[in-house]
Amino acid sequence: MSAEEEENAAELKIGEEFLKAKCLMNCEVSLILDKKYEQLQNMSDDPLSQTSQVFEKSLQYVKRFSRYKNSETVKQVREVLSRNRLAEFELCVLGNLCPETVEEAIAMVPTIKSKGRFQDDDAIDKMLRDLSLIKNLNRYSCWVHPTFLWSLLIQ
Amino acid sequence: MFFHMVLERNMQLHPRYFGPHLHEKLTTKLVKDVEGTCSGKHGFVVAVTKVESIGKGLIREGTGFVTFPVKYQCVVFRPFRGEILEAVVTLVNKMGFFAEAGPVNIFVSNHLIPDDMEFQSGDIPNYTTSDGSVKIQKDSEVRLKIIGVRVDAAEIFCIGTIKDDFLGVINDPDATA
Repeated sequence: MSAEEEENAAELKIGEEFLKAKCLMNCEVSLILDKKYEQLQNMSDDPLSQTSQVFEKSLQYVKRFSRYKNSETVKQVREVLSRNRLAEFELCVLGNLCPETVEEAIAMVPTIKSKGRFQDDDAIDKMLRDLSLIKNLNRYSCWVHPTFLWSLLIQ
Repeated sequence: MFFHMVLERNMQLHPRYFGPHLHEKLTTKLVKDVEGTCSGKHGFVVAVTKVESIGKGLIREGTGFVTFPVKYQCVVFRPFRGEILEAVVTLVNKMGFFAEAGPVNIFVSNHLIPDDMEFQSGDIPNYTTSDGSVKIQKDSEVRLKIIGVRVDAAEIFCIGTIKDDFLGVINDPDATA
């Protein structure tokens, strides 16, 4: 099928349906699958017999590769990334891989440069620093008052 | 990449279930039929999150079964060519290594592993750089780029590379935060 030959995530050619769909970062999927697993636990004694191998493998995967663990942090990450004019797919790749430098970010998501999502490299750098701040606060498990965090991030 | 989508399916139900719990029965049947399956178009259906609507049933001529159009929300996993993602190494041999990203298996050929990494056979087969600083073995976490996607009956299989910039073993000390 010629449509499949043209498919290329590096150029954001992923098909109309997926471009419009809601993309999920690993940490968000982790929260959804956890909730589902809890529901299954409440309903039966042996939740694992109710789940498919696909579900179990996905759950293990997202738990292992989630950069952010609690739901507040996950919301903050999505909020920070959404401030820029990114496509859902680009947003989630950045949220999943957490590039540390502008060069790395462009290598992971070439379309942020090719489609001119940011005014300049400084804007990309600012976004990456904001993400890094959230990750570090999450790591040290310090509770930061939301307005304080906001004031740090809007600088 | 994981997506949250609304999909549609026609479900057939036997008349024995036509009663007060019809919708519940349809929901259970939907979850059992669809969760864990894979299609070329949408990828793997990981979990059904909500049944959005169940349309009017249509009786099938001759059998008495009724077909209901069901719209449901679900989490799917669909890998794309050109996508960069992280995976866990499951098998290493001299042809390359296999890695798993969620429900999908990805093969990275030795041609697409950097030239400075050599295969070392033994108890724990691995690929190592000449100075021994970087090692890829079972259970290592790697970042790779998908360069090919193939749909095979009910499974999706991918080919990947770690030969580009910023790809390869993940050495992130705070990855376990």
